[in-house]
Amino acid sequence: MPWPLYLALKQLFPSGRRLPFFTIISIMGVGLGVALMLVSTSVMGGFGHQIKQMIIDTQGEVQIRGRRPMEATEAVESAIAQVPAVAAAAPYAQGVVMLEYEHHPAFPVIQGFDLERIRQVIPLERYLTAGALDDLDDDSVILSSLLAESLGVGVGGKVSIYSPLMLERMKRNEVLLPREVRVAGIFRIGHQQLDSSTVICSLRLMQDLYGLQQLIHGYNVRLKPGADPDAAVAALDALLPPVAQALTWFDANADFQAVLSFERNMIFFLLTFIVVVAAFSITSSLLVTVVRKTREIGLLGAMGGRARSVAACFCFQGLFIGAGGTVAGLGLGFLLLHYRNALVQFIASFTMGQEVFVKFYQFSNLPAHTEPKDVVIIVVFSIIASTLAGLIPAWRAARLKPVEALRSE
Amino acid sequence: MASALQSFSSSVLSASGLRKTYPSGDRVLAVLSGVDLTVAAGESVSIRGESGSGKSTLLNILAGLDRPDAGELFWAAEAAHQLSLGELTARRGRFLGMVFQSYYLIPELDAFANVLMGARMVGGVGAAERARATALLQRVGLAERGHHLPSHLSGGERQRVAVARALMNRPQVILADEPTGNLDERTGDSIIELLLGVCAEEKTALVLVTHNPAHAAKTARQLFLHDGRFV
Repeated sequence: MPWPLYLALKQLFPSGRRLPFFTIISIMGVGLGVALMLVSTSVMGGFGHQIKQMIIDTQGEVQIRGRRPMEATEAVESAIAQVPAVAAAAPYAQGVVMLEYEHHPAFPVIQGFDLERIRQVIPLERYLTAGALDDLDDDSVILSSLLAESLGVGVGGKVSIYSPLMLERMKRNEVLLPREVRVAGIFRIGHQQLDSSTVICSLRLMQDLYGLQQLIHGYNVRLKPGADPDAAVAALDALLPPVAQALTWFDANADFQAVLSFERNMIFFLLTFIVVVAAFSITSSLLVTVVRKTREIGLLGAMGGRARSVAACFCFQGLFIGAGGTVAGLGLGFLLLHYRNALVQFIASFTMGQEVFVKFYQFSNLPAHTEPKDVVIIVVFSIIASTLAGLIPAWRAARLKPVEALRSE
Repeated sequence: MASALQSFSSSVLSASGLRKTYPSGDRVLAVLSGVDLTVAAGESVSIRGESGSGKSTLLNILAGLDRPDAGELFWAAEAAHQLSLGELTARRGRFLGMVFQSYYLIPELDAFANVLMGARMVGGVGAAERARATALLQRVGLAERGHHLPSHLSGGERQRVAVARALMNRPQVILADEPTGNLDERTGDSIIELLLGVCAEEKTALVLVTHNPAHAAKTARQLFLHDGRFV
């Protein structure tokens, strides 16, 4: 073992003596930074993963969108059928309507699905909190939970739907009465936006409301397990007529994903400063060590130690503190992630009730999803920052002339 | 010049015309004013002098830790004064060993590891080096205390470890700068006996800087430094 490496290890972890206080503090500093970076990226990753699952559950992995309302022609259907990665597809149409219940208006997004085919694409039953999907027909709708709550309507209640088609008819001095439909069910997905303003109905009802006749807005597509959405989209786009284009779940929600990604990266960026501060503390501690060990550094020179080897000794100390702190931080981080829900409940019990927590934050369990790539980035960053932290003390040590160092008091 | 070179080539350490000055305010303080010194292989030489007479400066120059303003220095046959400080550092570990007044043991290493450190710094540590370190510790009377940290050793024991460390790489010369300065008289005497004894056994030259006339008298040659010259 090269002597700078050996001496660095011995100075940090001396045999037969207690671990030096500065080593413990420095390792703890790096460890805390690493743990916080791991927990924050994992929790943000958990949210992202949960939202991805929610999007896939409500749209499928791929959406085929018409550039304008299109017909569900044989050409489109056969193009979809030709792509081996596709497990099922169901046509949809969607728009905005006004919903009224006992003089309470709301303006939700309404989505009409082919009720026969949609079950193979979207697991609607999983999200139903009241009513049944089998009760949904051309004269009924399923409301999202917060929408139903704001209107004060429950299953069996009757709501009126006003569509943009009514305005078109008014221009021609025709009066189109609002469509009165029954509430067949209530669903809750766990996403504020979807739960507060979404209505699900049959494709036929949606086509009637918007005067679409046989036209649709696109297809929701479910892929076979393990299929690559990007490859499936490329295959679909090659076969679809020009009126339609395929999008992955990610591209279909690109703006939202960009915001999520930005938030995640910003949190990561801000937390890197904890490691940077820890690195400064390593620098400061090692500088004190250089001053304290000036005569030892002189001795190393007198024994034939080159300046660059003395410098390497301090760089290695930074590296070992970084490596030790990273290992400790990963351990602490994974421990915190394992007990995250107990911790959240404990904190929530002091600050707010669990119910309030669920109501405002939309989840009862804190999600977490750790990407191996993120772990690699955290490990590499913290070790590099800690090693660089040793550079200034190393430079100071290397500049000491043995004869002056040995003379120092 | 030729005779001087011949003299240098037969000696282990040779210096001629060494001069060293230090700025002191507006003045220039001459610490060494033309020192000539030749030490033969296995010879023991003591250097005495008043405080500030330049003993330590001379020792540092002989060790290649400091540069003279003028003069020549030969380590065996090699012209050390022509080498850079980096080149001197690279050769120093094998050519000479140093013993200091304050021991300068590495506190995180036990006695055995401190002795072995000399070998570690110039090459590697194998079975032969471990055996030599064990033998040296035994020779300095610390066979049982090899795994004790410096903080658990007395001053005399620490200096014995320092002596063993200086001898680890079988250097051609040991430079000892007041090695008994921090020790009581009896312990100091035993350290000098030890230094002279092991240097004789190892056929290593010894340059001993000391204030103690009795210690100096035990060396083969005694020199006295006054006003930057040997008198």
